[in-house]
Amino acid sequence: MAEEKAPTTTQFPGTIEPQKPRLKKEDGLAEKEPHLGPLQDVKGNAAGARPDQFVGAVRASIEEAILHSTAAESSTLDQLMITTYREEPFSYLELGKRHMTSRQADNRDLATQSNFQHIYLAPEFPILEKQNWLIHLHYIRKDYAACKALIKEQLQETQGLCEYAIYVQALMYRLEGNIQESLELFQSCAVLNPQNADNLKQVARSLFLLGKHKAAIEVYNEAAKLNQKDWEICHNLGVCYMYLKHFNKAKDQLHSALQLNRHDLTYIMLGKIHLLEGELEKAIDIYKKAVEFSPENTELLTTLGLLYLQLGIYQKAFEHLGNALTFDPTNYKAILAAGSMMQTHGDFDVALTKYRVMAYSVPESPPLWNNIGMCFFGKKKYVAAISCLKRANYLAPFDWKILYNLGLVHLTMQQYASAFHFLSAAINFQPKMGELYMLLAIALTNLDDSENASRAYAEAVALDQSNPLVNLNYAVLLYNQGEKKKALAQYQEMEKKVTLLKGSSSLDFDPEMVEMAQKMGAALQVGEALVWTKPVKDLKSRHRTTSANKSSNLQQPLGSNQALGQAMSSAAGFGKTTQLPAGAGGASQFSKPPSLPLEPEADPAEAISSEVQEQRETQKSSLAPE
Amino acid sequence: MASGSGDSAGGRGESTEVNSKWLDAHYDPMANIHTFSACLALADLHGDGEYKLVVGDLGPNGRQPRLKVLKGPSVLTESPLPALPSAAAAFLMEPHEPRTPALALASGPCVYVYKNLRPYFKFSLPPLPPNPLEQDLWNQAKEDRIDPLTLKEMLEGIREKAEVPLSSQSLRFLHLELGEMEAFVAQHKTQPIRRQTVITTMTILKKNLADEDAVSCLVLGTENRELLVLDPEAFTVLTKMNLPSVPVFLEASGQFDVEFWLTAACRDGNIYILRRDCKRPKYCIELSAQPVGLVRIHKTLVVGSTQDMLHSFTHKGKKLWTVPMPAPILTMSLLEQRSRGLQAVMAGLANGEMRIYRDKALLNIIRTPDAVTSLCFGRYGREDNTLIMTTRGGGLVIKILKRTAVFGEGAGEAGPPPAQALRLNVPRKTRLYVDQTLREREAGTAMHRAFQMDLYLLRLRAARAYVQALESSLNPVSATLREPLKLHAVVQGLGPTFKLTLHLQNTSAVRPAMGLLVSCLYNESLYALPRAFFKVPMLVPGLSYPLETFVECLSDKGISDVIKVLVLREGQSAPLLSAHINMPVSEGLVAA
Repeated sequence: MAEEKAPTTTQFPGTIEPQKPRLKKEDGLAEKEPHLGPLQDVKGNAAGARPDQFVGAVRASIEEAILHSTAAESSTLDQLMITTYREEPFSYLELGKRHMTSRQADNRDLATQSNFQHIYLAPEFPILEKQNWLIHLHYIRKDYAACKALIKEQLQETQGLCEYAIYVQALMYRLEGNIQESLELFQSCAVLNPQNADNLKQVARSLFLLGKHKAAIEVYNEAAKLNQKDWEICHNLGVCYMYLKHFNKAKDQLHSALQLNRHDLTYIMLGKIHLLEGELEKAIDIYKKAVEFSPENTELLTTLGLLYLQLGIYQKAFEHLGNALTFDPTNYKAILAAGSMMQTHGDFDVALTKYRVMAYSVPESPPLWNNIGMCFFGKKKYVAAISCLKRANYLAPFDWKILYNLGLVHLTMQQYASAFHFLSAAINFQPKMGELYMLLAIALTNLDDSENASRAYAEAVALDQSNPLVNLNYAVLLYNQGEKKKALAQYQEMEKKVTLLKGSSSLDFDPEMVEMAQKMGAALQVGEALVWTKPVKDLKSRHRTTSANKSSNLQQPLGSNQALGQAMSSAAGFGKTTQLPAGAGGASQFSKPPSLPLEPEADPAEAISSEVQEQRETQKSSLAPE
Repeated sequence: MASGSGDSAGGRGESTEVNSKWLDAHYDPMANIHTFSACLALADLHGDGEYKLVVGDLGPNGRQPRLKVLKGPSVLTESPLPALPSAAAAFLMEPHEPRTPALALASGPCVYVYKNLRPYFKFSLPPLPPNPLEQDLWNQAKEDRIDPLTLKEMLEGIREKAEVPLSSQSLRFLHLELGEMEAFVAQHKTQPIRRQTVITTMTILKKNLADEDAVSCLVLGTENRELLVLDPEAFTVLTKMNLPSVPVFLEASGQFDVEFWLTAACRDGNIYILRRDCKRPKYCIELSAQPVGLVRIHKTLVVGSTQDMLHSFTHKGKKLWTVPMPAPILTMSLLEQRSRGLQAVMAGLANGEMRIYRDKALLNIIRTPDAVTSLCFGRYGREDNTLIMTTRGGGLVIKILKRTAVFGEGAGEAGPPPAQALRLNVPRKTRLYVDQTLREREAGTAMHRAFQMDLYLLRLRAARAYVQALESSLNPVSATLREPLKLHAVVQGLGPTFKLTLHLQNTSAVRPAMGLLVSCLYNESLYALPRAFFKVPMLVPGLSYPLETFVECLSDKGISDVIKVLVLREGQSAPLLSAHINMPVSEGLVAA
């Protein structure tokens, strides 16, 4: 106890290391001042410190005391500290004093002028990670303002040594879009702790976001050295390689990522690479596995559905799209794709209800309004159809598919002049499509410009590969112009295409077209083509009342060449006969069972493309009788 | 009472005033409680059957950490804390009567244990072993056998490679400037190297009995990626486990002496599952987002992620289901209604909703005036099913579950989204439109022909005008290949004096243009130009030369005219190019 007394107050604030006798007096002073008691402990303890368990314990609490001694309520705090640990075997005052003694000696030799200030600063460094948990908590709660304030405070206290604070600050910069700043901070994290793969990963990620894929790959490889089995590194390397178009390397990396740990994201990327390489089947396999792994991921389900749609496997496509919609009834892509499939089957009302959901959430989507327009078209609400299509066109003025549909609807409405404008606009955007020229030719025929019409047909025939309608319509025009030989040539060309189509797939032909072709055949005195016999039956049985009506309408005047001639002339001058617009396009609307070869296109456009093509077909068929 | 009809009337599980399943017991928006779910605990602290709420309060802005004990709606005791609390838990320390639970509060590197609301014991994390090389270096420094520069280099080397990180003392030393080093070494060389870590999370684990009131161990998660299980009586470390990352949320089940599972959601976005007798995680769930809450119900885990999703996994890490949330999740907790055997997950969302889920099914939504940041459900006071929420602004909400309330399944969101019932906004067409349509139908061919005709005429006129312009060099870009020039003019000023600036540019690749003249033609009764004819300096290719001249308007009638600017080559009468400048009306004179 003797040694205990002497040194207690050596560190009274502000006093320069005094001589022993004076200390005693100071001692008394210190006691009176409640404030200072614990501070002494702090100093003493910190200075001394023994590798003793209790020392550790006390030291920690002391550290806290230091940190808070500046705070206003330090006096209360001290009280608490003392009372709290009363029951510990050593009293803490005592302990402090003990260390003080050992410290004392050092102090004196150390520096003659060592004053309190020095000692006070010297002892403790705050634990760098002290508030990491709170920073993290604010961060994951997205309370970025609080998080930033805390980080700032923490960095000041640790003089910028707190790695995690910098790390989170960088993450937040990145979220705010300041990728360059985030990159710099991550780099400084990597300097503070070069052993941490996370830092390198984030550096690489920022580089990746800045589009510096090669640099990102290098850093990822560095990180991979520190942490071999990391899914994230493999995955991101794969993505980087994908953007650099090293597809094989990318696939390798993504497969190894999948081996480490399966994630939806990796599957999606892998599927994307297969799609980029044009390997639809492989992509489907990947997505199948992915759906097996996480059956509730709507993105996976939708993508798989769309892929099936592209391949023409409608049953499965619809199944997956339907599943996607059960899990997320507001999924944009799934609604569009499923809706377009419903339209194909003539379920316009169901499709419209689905579209309503979308119209609420994505009111400015051109494909959506295009599809809604075509639904109304299918329901023979032509004015509404035109309104919707015009809105779609307003939203996406350069989309030829919408222009195509507008042309189609206007043809149906017998507004041939308008149809001409829309179709010629569409041709300006898409000059390589035979069907467009064919529609243009039909518009021109109806505008009494047969010269340009036949030029358009010639262009259409030259461009088109597989659509027999083009030839048939051309044949009709030629026949009407009295050029039987050329008409016959076109007719034969059409037959060739038909046989080809039949051979290659299970396509069904529109009954109107079949009928028209038969009449044409009769008119040209070619024997009743055997080509048609079978599909006609098929279709007849399948067809609904509307189309039946329609065909019966047409059947009436026919039977002889003469009648055919009449029909054709009436087609040519459709405008004169005040027939209802329902005639031309409407009925055939209900035809198309699966018959659309889909274009492999990316993203939401898929839905629209299927849609448009459908309409295209219907219009073609509707044109045949004219 | 109300609950039966409440379901049908309340629709989608929302609590309306009348038929809510909850009684509003207390709401104080100014309670000044800023905390999170881990720092809330309900416990019968005095053993009198009256449950208190223990709050480790961070204080406003996290500056005044306090331990608050609430009884009913009011604060019973309040004492300041030395550091911010990271977790609070009530647990039984010993099997003897009276069975009053002790209170553990984790803060910084220590756990403060209170009994009967009196400080009882303080446990500090054992200091981490320092790097032996580092220790050695500082020992050398102490004996002045090494100079600061070498010390720095050596430490640098350790930092690059070593497994054991450096102490904060060394780290700070490495950041010093050359001049400061010596003093720093002198000051600190005598200090031992220490590394201390902090507690990030804490939970309790039953020791050897599964009973409700069995003795429990404390389980601590630390910043240096360890899990520690403490003995409830001696406060010694019973077992230590390593994690690949820093734990953020911790869940424990089972009994320490028999078999137990520890589930730790970590900062790397993964969830690790550990079992007895394994020092390393047995299963790992990768979330690909940060977890914001972790709740265990029997053998399933429910995790909220920063992607606004609730995920469910089995205790072996197999994914079960996923539910999207309408807003970011702030906190999660367990709702356990023992009388009905109900266990559900509560999630506080940033949009001020508190949602209750049993598996995938949404049972109930409570709307709160502010976003809920912490949640706690259990016995409070003498009421069994009490829900305690604190809000972002520091408010306190206490609700009591009605004894008759039954959470029906299917009260959640089912069926088509509401948007499906809305009418499509199809633009209407006017009468005029219909008339025009009819007209087109009747006279389509004529319209088409007229249009085509006019179009051709328009094109013809455009072509003619262009040719004419080319012929008379009326265009501002010269057409001749020898003198490719470009001219554009700017008029500045309000009048009557204007400044006319002609920007003349030689667009040829290499050849400079020389010997050019500019002449202005104008109505002399309207305008006066001090220099209507001047020479152009040599034009270096590519540069734009501004040529300025003043124009004075002579008329006060507010009329304006065109000034023609011609660029000529010396000795040629045909202009190279010309510009027509429409002069603005002189506002100065008109106003005067």
